[in-house]
Amino acid sequence: MGEKWDAGELGCGELLIELAGRMRNLAPGQVFELRALDPGAEEDLPAWCRLTGHALVSAQHPVYLIRRREK
Amino acid sequence: MPGSFCVSLTCSKDNTDKATVGFVVANAAVASDKDTMVFLSIEGVRLSQKGYADDIHEAGFSPLKELMDNFVKAGGKIYVCSPCFKKRGLGEDKLIAGATIVGGAKLVEFLSGGSPCVSY
Repeated sequence: MGEKWDAGELGCGELLIELAGRMRNLAPGQVFELRALDPGAEEDLPAWCRLTGHALVSAQHPVYLIRRREK
Repeated sequence: MPGSFCVSLTCSKDNTDKATVGFVVANAAVASDKDTMVFLSIEGVRLSQKGYADDIHEAGFSPLKELMDNFVKAGGKIYVCSPCFKKRGLGEDKLIAGATIVGGAKLVEFLSGGSPCVSY
């Protein structure tokens, strides 16, 4: 397990731009644990992973495990 | 996944809710690796002026200035409609970082490349 972040109530673009920055700081393949209470996160985070190429390892709202992409 | 995304924003203090949500969505796009442009026109051009957005803070959202700063820091581009800008007598010397005054051709070129666009 790598880094983790409790995003609290942050959602939509506010959540994603912070998350994107944190994912960039990880090594390829490293898994990030995110806690996101926003109700939109359940749909948004799988979509964001599809868009960016990061892998959604597990989604048990509000906890999400995301593996950083290789590049 | 490559691609581009445009947010067309026509509001500033006349509708701070729209102005804020426009930049929240723009942040979602740039954070999703899209080449993202916010096109400011009509009243939206006022957001291009240093200090103007400093006191805009919608309940439930981050302050607008923070959203705009994060957008530019992440590589997002802000284009400002030239005739809208001139009509309001705004100052080129007061442009915020990341903002560029453009004519309609820039918007047309960006969208003609196949970019989707959402308007607020």
